[in-house]
Amino acid sequence: MKPTKSVLAAFFSGMLMFACEPELSIHESGNLVAKTADQDSSVPSIYVNGAQLHAEAFGDPDDPMIVVLHGGPGEDYRDLLNCKEFANDGYRVVFYDQRGAGLSERFPHSTYTMQVLYDDLTAVISYYKASPTQPVFLLGHSWGAMLATAYINQYPSVINGAILGEPGGFKWDDVEDYLSRSRDFRLFSEGLNDAVYMEQFITAKENDHALLDYKFQLWATADGGEDSPTGNEGKLPYWRSGAVTSNAYMEWGDEHRPDWTTNLQQYTTKVLFIYSENNEAYGLAHAQKVSSAYPNVQLFETLNAGHDMLSFPRGWNNTYPVMLEYLNALK
Amino acid sequence: MKIIKISLLIIVALHFPKSLCLAQTLNWASLRQEQRHIVNVNAGYDYAFTYGVGYGYHLKMKLPIVLNVEYSQPAGDKAFDDFKTKIGGQIQLYQVNDFRFTAKILGIARRYENDYTRLFNFGSDMSAIAGYYRDKWFVAGEFGFDKAIVTNFKHTDLFRENFPDVKDGWYEPSTGGNFYYGLQAGVSFTNNDIFLKAGKVVQQDFETNPTIPFYVQIGYNRRF
Repeated sequence: MKPTKSVLAAFFSGMLMFACEPELSIHESGNLVAKTADQDSSVPSIYVNGAQLHAEAFGDPDDPMIVVLHGGPGEDYRDLLNCKEFANDGYRVVFYDQRGAGLSERFPHSTYTMQVLYDDLTAVISYYKASPTQPVFLLGHSWGAMLATAYINQYPSVINGAILGEPGGFKWDDVEDYLSRSRDFRLFSEGLNDAVYMEQFITAKENDHALLDYKFQLWATADGGEDSPTGNEGKLPYWRSGAVTSNAYMEWGDEHRPDWTTNLQQYTTKVLFIYSENNEAYGLAHAQKVSSAYPNVQLFETLNAGHDMLSFPRGWNNTYPVMLEYLNALK
Repeated sequence: MKIIKISLLIIVALHFPKSLCLAQTLNWASLRQEQRHIVNVNAGYDYAFTYGVGYGYHLKMKLPIVLNVEYSQPAGDKAFDDFKTKIGGQIQLYQVNDFRFTAKILGIARRYENDYTRLFNFGSDMSAIAGYYRDKWFVAGEFGFDKAIVTNFKHTDLFRENFPDVKDGWYEPSTGGNFYYGLQAGVSFTNNDIFLKAGKVVQQDFETNPTIPFYVQIGYNRRF
């Protein structure tokens, strides 16, 4: 057999094997991204405010409640599960994935407003609250800390304390300022390639959730890489990144340019504000600027940790005692 | 359905060298009949900062046709984890004085890899170009469509730590497509061309944009 014919024979044989593989649907949930609580009954969830939210609670139901608010928008609480440790120290710890995020039910892009997030949080607190006098604390990280502050700004009298980990900002200008630094990848870096080169492989429409979620997850892999200035110890664990809710809230912010500080002077309870040593995009100056919206702030720098200081061992071990001391003083 | 798709890919792959032409940006007016070979180097932004090389073969036919192969990869620390190859060609369909109209059809094989996944895709790139070509310079407009026809997904252990049930394999229907449109211009001297092209990229729904919705490329051709 001539070499050319051999090559062609091998080529066609390979193609025949390739042709025999079953094809998978790019749009089907469960193929490339995990099924959500409304699609999979084995996912622990609660139905509140018209949404099936992935949620879990740990600890004695009568203990003071800590509601954990994850980052994003669009991420999930998997990377904050270290917070379960509070349950061993006398707290009821409540986790939930915000609507459209993680394993919680997805909704169309146009339905995401800040008010619906406030209503969800109110409903989650009501669902788990064992008595009217049970103290409620919010523990928010990044976007979750922004949401916690927006909620306190909206309802200054219902929350008994807050732990806030590196919120981008409480005014949209500060958010943009932080994002411009935290996403400052070098132009010729592998991190930038990882984030954008796949956009020629996968495209999706505005509400094409599963595909957008998968693409968003690939995009997010750049964060935590060597090129990222956020200083994390590694890649964050996750269940599902909600692309539509993420886009919706970022676009909402760009359009409305919110200021979530207008009522914060009424909130005189001390707030624990945490920033990390290794996040080059944050730092003391930004922490002071953002936290100054609260009248009573305890600033704490977590050493040897990056932006997701509560997700990795070094940051968690360095931060937990301070958080526990803060909560114990308020409960 | 799969067999039909694969057959089409095979047909396209086998017939491109016989019938079609180029991916390089050319000054058709400066390309001489006796010039058979065109080598090209280029750099720019094409879904990432990329650099590439290409080769074109000018067929001896009545219609100006150039066959082409290209390779490009993005900048970054890891070589060959991401790349794009194209094979196909470009044909000058019509000429009125110095105005020329050309069509370009290319088959694409491309790869993407990060810490979570490896994607391998077969696709196509079709475009139409209309412009004004003189011996020493040219300017033209282009409109094209880059289709990701069929893609193989293979996930890493790190991805499976987060989602163990992910399914590897070939995915359908088409996983993506982007339209692009823009301008290209260049200068020619002796056997050389220097060109610049730039434009906008929009997803196939004409509503959604990539993160960086532009392309730009600067390149150099040597004809001999």
